[in-house]
Amino acid sequence: MATNPHLLVIGYGNTLRRDDGVGPLVVESVGGLCLPGVRTLISQQLSPEHSAPVSQAHTVIFVDASVDAPHEVRLRPLAPGHCSQIMAHAADPATILALARDVFGHAPDAWWLTIPAMNLDFNEELSPETRAGAGEALRRIQSIAEQFCREHGKNCEAVANIS
Amino acid sequence: MSKRIIIDPVTRIEGHGKISIYLDDAGQVTDAQFHVVEFRGFEKFCEGRPFSEMPGITQRICGICPVSHQLASARAGDALMAVNIPPAADKLRRLMNLGQIIQSHALSFFHLSAPDFLMGWETPQAQRNVFGLIQSNTDLARAGIRLRQFGQEIIEILGGKKIHPAWAVPGGVRSGLTEAGRTKIRAWLPEAYGTAQIALDLFKKTLETHHRELQVFGNFPSLFMGLVTPGGSWEHHGGKLRFTSSEGTIVADQLDPQNYLDYIGESVQSSSYLKSPYYLPYGFPRGIYRVGPLARLNVCERMGVSRGDAELDNFKGMGNGAVTSSFLYHYARLIEIMSAIEFVEIYLDDPELINGQLRADAGINCLRGVGASEAPRGTLFHDYTVDADGLLRKVNLIVATGQNNLAMNQTVAQIARAYIHGGAITEPLLNRIEHGIRCYDPCLSCSTHAVGQMPLQVRLIGPDGSVLQEVARR
Repeated sequence: MATNPHLLVIGYGNTLRRDDGVGPLVVESVGGLCLPGVRTLISQQLSPEHSAPVSQAHTVIFVDASVDAPHEVRLRPLAPGHCSQIMAHAADPATILALARDVFGHAPDAWWLTIPAMNLDFNEELSPETRAGAGEALRRIQSIAEQFCREHGKNCEAVANIS
Repeated sequence: MSKRIIIDPVTRIEGHGKISIYLDDAGQVTDAQFHVVEFRGFEKFCEGRPFSEMPGITQRICGICPVSHQLASARAGDALMAVNIPPAADKLRRLMNLGQIIQSHALSFFHLSAPDFLMGWETPQAQRNVFGLIQSNTDLARAGIRLRQFGQEIIEILGGKKIHPAWAVPGGVRSGLTEAGRTKIRAWLPEAYGTAQIALDLFKKTLETHHRELQVFGNFPSLFMGLVTPGGSWEHHGGKLRFTSSEGTIVADQLDPQNYLDYIGESVQSSSYLKSPYYLPYGFPRGIYRVGPLARLNVCERMGVSRGDAELDNFKGMGNGAVTSSFLYHYARLIEIMSAIEFVEIYLDDPELINGQLRADAGINCLRGVGASEAPRGTLFHDYTVDADGLLRKVNLIVATGQNNLAMNQTVAQIARAYIHGGAITEPLLNRIEHGIRCYDPCLSCSTHAVGQMPLQVRLIGPDGSVLQEVARR
């Protein structure tokens, strides 16, 4: 890693498809908090070149909408994917981690934070359920960031938003 | 007994396509069709919207080439307002389009196509993908990712974000290049040149062992169409259209894109939502033409930059007249990457990009306007008809993949004829057919953009509808 240890929070999704945009909205809020040691990155979709900044991070949190059961905010550890499939202009978090490891030499500790999505129509407004999930997701990210900063102490660098 | 082979699906995202291969009684291939079976409807639901919204709306057609739609749409808006945009705005649009060409071509070559011909058609699916490429040549894979990142950075620096930047507008652009942005782009140039040269050397070496692919991966006579400058040089934004025959003669030149209906017809097939444009004076299907990198290099006389021109000379030496093998789309793509980097460097030295006026303002002065621009995959037309208030009454979009539709059909048929004898379907055959489609880098796509375990289903169906053979790949 070329930079000081930092926590990278990546939000991805389409902000014009209602709840699908919850990842970018949450991460935009994270950026606004100016948490020490935290960088943010927002994108409509993950793509292979995201593996470069991911490989530079100590820890990464991918924030995404989810339509799968159970309909609750979930935080899961994530490992580099073993699957050989890659959608070449869009990729999933496990694939990005695998690319970071295989191409750039480092796969960080990673978490996948998913927020239940109820409505994917054309609109920029979140459903009430997803809005509530966004609040909970933000609290969880804050908690992880505080723990991250305690562990890395004075090495925690000032906030920098990539997006 | 005639038979039909169906490959379904060829695609996974916003283009669900399939391929049908028709066999005669002797089991020999007689024809092939590439179908797109998803309807998107942009031309219809845009009716009633203000023309000024169209660069923002139409770029949502695609997550791969939003810049192309944005630029063609902005040009159509320029025509509706009947304005000449400020020179700085024109150069900035060109700079962004060059970034788009670099990033899209890098994706096509390094992520999608290179694993096929570098690792071999017989290589198992689990290895014949970008991860396999990483295992065998990590430096090359990293260079490819970073070259695409370079193109994306240009787009982001100008437009504020990599995907769907709200930047080009009728009359110009919203913002110029900052000094910091110029410095950042300039810092990438040495690495970008190096990667482009590595890729060019690699592909030319690949050609030494791929004579068969050169012969049968879409090697047939057709017309070629692309934009050129008034002097016949390579053009990607603005300029006029030229049609060139496979013998290398100019069939029509300096055609105004505004009048494209005079020379391009659109055939509709009941089996596909993808229209099949053709050169109108030759009729359908004789008027088949190809667009994109191969066509652009066939219609132009020079690239206009030194490294690009040296490669163009080599490229043109591969044809007897025009270069007719679609396998050489890859080579043409790499030449365009190298040339685009050279043009980027030229634009970075232009002080006007920092300080120039960026936008012309006007109301509606024409009720119809056409914008044409070279997308990475080929010429893109946006044709808008509006009322006096600028609300859209009619929209027609002609995209590159549609214009290559007839050529993709012929390519699949040619590959199938070369490798299917007696109706046997094999994995290497599927790989080659997939790659025949990938040569055109169609933007349907995740079929053709899905590297590795592309979900494929091939069915051999008898005349009574029964499935004689099925090969599925999930």
